[in-house]
Amino acid sequence: MDETVGPSEMIVHLGPQHPMMPGPFRLNAKLRGETVVDSEVEIGWIHKGIEKILENKTYLQGITIVDRICYLAALTNEEAYVGCVEKLAGIEVPERAQYIRVIMEELSRIQSHLLGMGEYASFLGFVSMFMYTIRDREDVMSLIDSVTGARITHSFLRYGGVKDDLPEGFKDDVKYVFGNLRKAIDNYEELYRTDDIYKARTANIGVLTADVAKDLGVSGPPLRATGVDFDIRKDEPYLVYDDLDFNVCTQTDGDVFARIQVRLDEMRESMYIIEQCLDQIPDGPLFPEDTPYGKRSPVMRIPGGEVFHRVEDPRGEMGFYMVSDGSDRPYRVKIRGPVYPTLQALPPLLKGVKVADIVSIAGSMDTCTSEVDR
Amino acid sequence: MDDVEQAEPEVVRYDDVPGVALTDSNAIADFIKKTKIQDVLNWGRKNSLWFMVNAMGCCGVELLATGMAHYDTDRFGIIPRNSPRHADVMIISGYVTKKYLPALRRIWDQMPAPKWVICFGDCAISGGPFYESYSTHQNIDDIFPVDVFVPGCPPRCEALIQGFVELQNKITAKKDKGTEY
Amino acid sequence: MDANSIIASLAGKFPDDIYDADVQSEIRIAANVKPENVVEICRYLKEDLSFGHLCCEFGVDYPDRNEIEVIYVIGSYEHPVILTMKALLPRDDPEIESVVPVYWNANWYERETYELFGVKYLNHPDLKPLVLPKEMLGEWPLRRDYEGFPNKTARNLV
Repeated sequence: MDETVGPSEMIVHLGPQHPMMPGPFRLNAKLRGETVVDSEVEIGWIHKGIEKILENKTYLQGITIVDRICYLAALTNEEAYVGCVEKLAGIEVPERAQYIRVIMEELSRIQSHLLGMGEYASFLGFVSMFMYTIRDREDVMSLIDSVTGARITHSFLRYGGVKDDLPEGFKDDVKYVFGNLRKAIDNYEELYRTDDIYKARTANIGVLTADVAKDLGVSGPPLRATGVDFDIRKDEPYLVYDDLDFNVCTQTDGDVFARIQVRLDEMRESMYIIEQCLDQIPDGPLFPEDTPYGKRSPVMRIPGGEVFHRVEDPRGEMGFYMVSDGSDRPYRVKIRGPVYPTLQALPPLLKGVKVADIVSIAGSMDTCTSEVDR
Repeated sequence: MDDVEQAEPEVVRYDDVPGVALTDSNAIADFIKKTKIQDVLNWGRKNSLWFMVNAMGCCGVELLATGMAHYDTDRFGIIPRNSPRHADVMIISGYVTKKYLPALRRIWDQMPAPKWVICFGDCAISGGPFYESYSTHQNIDDIFPVDVFVPGCPPRCEALIQGFVELQNKITAKKDKGTEY
Repeated sequence: MDANSIIASLAGKFPDDIYDADVQSEIRIAANVKPENVVEICRYLKEDLSFGHLCCEFGVDYPDRNEIEVIYVIGSYEHPVILTMKALLPRDDPEIESVVPVYWNANWYERETYELFGVKYLNHPDLKPLVLPKEMLGEWPLRRDYEGFPNKTARNLV
């Protein structure tokens, strides 16, 4: 951004501590009157150097670190990391473990969308919505908690399987929670569709067209809201997503309203996926039996090579590029987070909007700063 | 800029306003601390601990969840506020990086006294899983007067509520660091 | 469009610049490129082979070979193939042309690679530190021989 300020222009710094943000980042906006002329995003306020730390940890220790890349999608982060190790070492995951992974990742998607959506409503001053979504999110959190033993950072996946089996009575709990959640989501949708103020703040605001979104490298709900059905679960299926029946939720408007609608629809799809999984899940071991990489081998050396593995995070395409040199630690791990390009795409989106819409547009991207900074 | 002479702003003085006594010492505060009035003040303070929402890491999500409907800390007078100027408690909820520390200091300076600090989570206490990182700042208790440490990675919401209870006990016992500011 | 035809088309168009091309699986191909012509190759990939989605761009340090690899992982919205393209640079003075004119979102990836590895991007619109404070520029923390890691200042460790 050009720092020189012309007549009747000023630069406003939003952040790093700002209620708009679930993590610290700074938005420098140059305003002429009330219109944003130019803007720039500054990141790195919580850069922890995870890529460097991962190089110095063994593969098993790495699982706990990748949990903390994005605190709302810990399980999908683990899936991307563990999937890389499995591809390099050629480990086959038993079917039951794959189903458990799908269940947990979809649950994690639901809780992430619930928080993101509610938080977004609170940016617009609609704090009651945040109360509602957090209330329902707690039910989902206790489902996750009952399986993994943790609320946010789970360290649940292992290469070749998962740490624990589903607890007894899990299916009934899921049935009960989803019964309530379905009603709640219908409720939210009705609130969103009938609230005039909410509509005025979201409809036709921050419009992305499909071509622009592709050019900016955006993925996940902001891209699907423009009508592009880009979903790694369909395009490059991992785990058992091939055997499951689900739709990729898209909208055509590309505005803020459409992004929230995509998230609402995705929660319904996720619930549908989990119910299918619970019906289809076979009995069997949680770890492959005839490989040396079981639960009991904390140190393992995997063959050298390079691999890029990507999964569908709640926010878009999450990819890990791993370089192995045959030792017990990765030589290099590159984390490709979905929010990184999304946050980068804010300045072109904010050009020409009013100040009041900055929060609306930036919030609708559901940014997770921790994952941007790493 | 330097050679332009700036007009001195006119200073308003209250010396001659009747009924107003000005002091630049802590004599009155020190005196009040010895009396029962301080107990009453502390009772008020401990029951309205408004905390600042400054989600910095994984723990920040638990911070948000604690302030909302399910755990409902409002009933203890613990209310999330978005501005540092409204807040009494700063919760350091994550890793403090070299880049972020100046901003965090500034936020702390903007808060009106009396004010307290809670270190929430292992990252703020000892560096957590990132203790050997090249970009984080360790030993936060050297920089801020921390009253309560809440360990965990991340701690559960109940642990944060327990942390607030500890802080209330400290305020009642007049052993907290916050009222010195 | 499948992996083999992409490699054939790419090698046919740039016979001097593409070497060690390799089909790893149906959806993964890899190739090494000469650093001089990387922008032209990216433009061809985007416009003719529909590789419109830059997944990421980053560096890998090899002190033994005295080289820094810059890796471009490029995907597509139309077909599932992902191309991993490597450019090998000398470690003492790594310089490469920026691909921002082709892939807009390479901007931050290149700024990050610059401050973490010291790879200098020519003709980048705004090459300055991204995630680290300005004082740390020049330390190149993600190189293998960086001395500031591990950080030993933590006192309260259990």
